[in-house]
Amino acid sequence: MARAGTPTAFDDVDPKRRVRNVALTLVAIGVGVLVLMFLESLGSSKLSQSLALFAIWGVATVSLNLINGTLGILSLGHHGFMLIGGYTTGLLILDEAARARILTSARSTMTEESLAISVTNMLRGIGLDALTTPDTLWVRFLIAIFLGGLMAAFAGLLVGIPSLRLRGDYLAIVTFGFGEIIRLSASTRLFAEYTNGALGFPGLTSEFGKSVWWTFGILAFTVFVMSKLKFSSYGRAMQAIREDEVAAQAMGINLAYNKVLGFVISAFFAGVAGGLWVSWLGGVRLDFFLFQLTFFFLVAISAGGTGSITGVLLGTALVVFVRQYGDPLEQTYTLQQWLTYAGATLVLMTGLAVLFRSLRRLRPRFHWSAGVLAGAAVLAFVVAAIDPAFLEGTFRGFGMRAIFLSVLLIAIMVFRPEGMIGRAEFSWSGLLGERRSGPTDDERTQDAWLTNPVLNPRGSDADVASGSDAPTAPGRSAARELDVGDERHPRDDSTDDERRG
Amino acid sequence: MAMLEVEHLTKSFGGLTATNDVTFDVGEGEIVSIIGPNGAGKSTIFNLITGVYRPDAGEIRFEGRSIVGTGTNKIVDLGIARTFQNLRLFTNLTVLQNVLAAQHHALNSTWLSAVLRTPSYRRQEARMREIATEKLAFFGPRLMSFRLNQPVYVLSYANRRRVEMARAMATGAKLLLLDEPSAGMNPSETKEITKIIRRMRDEGGYTVVLVEHKMGLVGEISDRVIVLDYGQKIAEGSYRDVVNDPTVIEAYLGKKAAAAKRGELEDVDEP
Repeated sequence: MARAGTPTAFDDVDPKRRVRNVALTLVAIGVGVLVLMFLESLGSSKLSQSLALFAIWGVATVSLNLINGTLGILSLGHHGFMLIGGYTTGLLILDEAARARILTSARSTMTEESLAISVTNMLRGIGLDALTTPDTLWVRFLIAIFLGGLMAAFAGLLVGIPSLRLRGDYLAIVTFGFGEIIRLSASTRLFAEYTNGALGFPGLTSEFGKSVWWTFGILAFTVFVMSKLKFSSYGRAMQAIREDEVAAQAMGINLAYNKVLGFVISAFFAGVAGGLWVSWLGGVRLDFFLFQLTFFFLVAISAGGTGSITGVLLGTALVVFVRQYGDPLEQTYTLQQWLTYAGATLVLMTGLAVLFRSLRRLRPRFHWSAGVLAGAAVLAFVVAAIDPAFLEGTFRGFGMRAIFLSVLLIAIMVFRPEGMIGRAEFSWSGLLGERRSGPTDDERTQDAWLTNPVLNPRGSDADVASGSDAPTAPGRSAARELDVGDERHPRDDSTDDERRG
Repeated sequence: MAMLEVEHLTKSFGGLTATNDVTFDVGEGEIVSIIGPNGAGKSTIFNLITGVYRPDAGEIRFEGRSIVGTGTNKIVDLGIARTFQNLRLFTNLTVLQNVLAAQHHALNSTWLSAVLRTPSYRRQEARMREIATEKLAFFGPRLMSFRLNQPVYVLSYANRRRVEMARAMATGAKLLLLDEPSAGMNPSETKEITKIIRRMRDEGGYTVVLVEHKMGLVGEISDRVIVLDYGQKIAEGSYRDVVNDPTVIEAYLGKKAAAAKRGELEDVDEP
C-alpha cells in the first residue's frame, strides 16, 4: 500500500500516476505539435516569427532562471553569455559568399585565417565531407550552436568563480560588469579579428532561428534538462543554497561546486539561445546584445514567477507578446483617440480590480479605488465625446511598449510580488486536483492532539476506532516502531490509517 | 580513544577572547552538555569545531585526525553535523526536501547522471528518501504524513526544531552538535525532546554534544557537563557535581547570591 504523503518516486509523484503523467505529457506534446502545425499553416510570417522568438527567449529565460531562481543569485550578465554563443555560431556557420564579402570589404577587420574558422572546414578537416553539402546545413548549425554553448559555458565558469566570494548586490554588480566586459571587448582590437568589430556578420541564415520546429525543439530540450535538474538532488542542493548558504554549507553542500555548476549550465543554454537569436535576426551585431536583453529576461522571470520554469515561460510569452504585437501602442493618433483608449483601459482596469478582489475574497468587493478608476474612465469618455479644441493635435506613442511593460511589471510586483504563478510548477497531478494541499480532518485532529493533548483531546475511543477498523500490520510504519513512546503516544492507538490517508 | 578531542582551543575576535584555552573530549556514545551564561563562548566552540571559524590556537581532533582548517562542508563528510541556535532551515523547501538536501553531500553521481536519472542515481535517491523518513520518524508521526510535503515556513517553531535535528541526523554524521535544541519549546515539548535526544544515542548510535540553557534537560540526559564562563572552562563533571561547584554557582548567580543561596540549586534553573 503506497502511503499518500510518502513519495517513493521522483518529483514527488505516486509511481502509479507517473505512467499516466508521462502519457499525458506525450499527448500534450503531440497536441502542441498539431497546434504549431496549424499556426504555421495560417501562413502568417509574423506569427511564426513571434512563436520562434518566444522559444528562443524561452531558452534564455529558463537558463537565467537557474541562476536567479534556483540558485538565488541575481545575475545581470546573461546578454554576455548570449553574445558569446551568438558570435561563435555566427562565425561558424557563415556561408562562403558572406565570407568572401567580408574579406573584400575595406572596413573589415577579419583575416583569412579567422574567416577560415567554420564548421564546414572542421568537418572537412576530419574527413566528413558528406556533412558539408547544402542540405546538411542543419547538422552544421547544430554543431555551431553546441560549440557556441560550450564557449559561453567556459565564460560561465569564469564568471562563476567570483560568485564564490561575493553575495547579493555585490555579486549582481560583478555579473553585470562581466556581461558588459564581454560585450565591449568583442569590438576591441583583440577580438575584432574574430568578431569583425562593429560590423559583425551580416547575412546569416534565418532558416533555423525563424523555424518554430527548431526553436521549439531546443526549448523543449532546455526545459527537459532544467526541470530534471531542478527536481534532482543537485537542484535541491542549489535551492538549499538559495535559502540559506550558511546552513547549506553546514549540511555538507559544496557551495563552490554547485554555484559554478549552476553558472556553467546556465551559460551553456544562454549560448545556445544566443546562436538561435542571431539566426532569428539574420546577422550578428554588437547592439543585438545590449543589457536591455537581460532586462527583458528579468522582467519575464519576475512577472512569471522566479524559480518556476512554468512561470518563467509564461512571463516570456507576455514579454514577447508585448514586444511583437505592441506596435499599435507606438503609432500616431489624435489626442481624442488617445483619450478614448485611455478610457477603455481604465474600464478594463476597473473590471480587473473588481475581479481581483472577488477572487481574493476581499471585502468590500467594490473598493473606492475601483470607483476612482471608473470615474476617471467616465471623465475620459465624456471629454473625448465633447471633443474640445485642445484635443485637435496628434501624439505619437513613442516608447509606449516599454512603458506598458514597465507599468505591467509594477502592477504585478504590487499585487503579486511572487509573480503570476509564484514558485509553483505545472504538474498533471496539480492540474487534475490530485495534489493534497492540506491535511485531512483526521490528520488535523491528530496533529492538534500531538501539539497539545490537553487542549485538543482526540474525542472518544469510539471515534478513533471508527476511523480505522483494520488492525495495524506489524512493522508497516517506521513511525510506529520508533514512536516517541511516552505517555502522549499510547502504543495501542490504531490511527495509522487515518494519519496517512 | 575519544571521538572528539579539543585541546587548548583559543579564539578571539578583536580584543574579546571568546574561547580561551578550552580542553575537553567527547567519547563515542556520550551525551555531553556545554553550559554557561550568555556570551560564555558555547556557540563559538560549535563554530570552531564545524570549521566556520579557524581557531587562533589549539587543536581539534575527530577520530584521531586533526580537523583544524578543514572546510565546513568537508567536516560534514567526516561525520560532524550541527543544528543552529536560531533556526536555519531551507524555509521555502518542504520538510522532506530539507532532510534530502542534507544527504546531497554523500551523493555519488554526477549532475549529468542526475539529469538523466540513471539507475544508480535512482537507487541513491530512493535510499535518500528511506533515510529521510527514517530520521523524521524519530520525532513520532508529527512530521510524517501530510507534513512531509509542507513547506517549512508553515511549521510551528517546535516542529522546525525537530526538522532541523532530523536534517542534521540525515547527513550521516556520527557526532551531532545541538545548539539549544529545546529553545522556544514548552515544558512538555522539552520533555519530549529530552527523550528524543536520549533515543538518538541509544537507538540511533549518535554521539551528542549540546549547548543548552534548560538545566532540567541538561541534568536529565547529560553523561557529562562542561561549564564555560568568559570563554574559559570552569568546571567539568557529572551534572550533580557541576551544579554544586561553587565556581559554577558564582558564574551564574554572582558572588553575593552564591553565598546567600549556597546549597539551593533549584534557582539555577532559569539563568
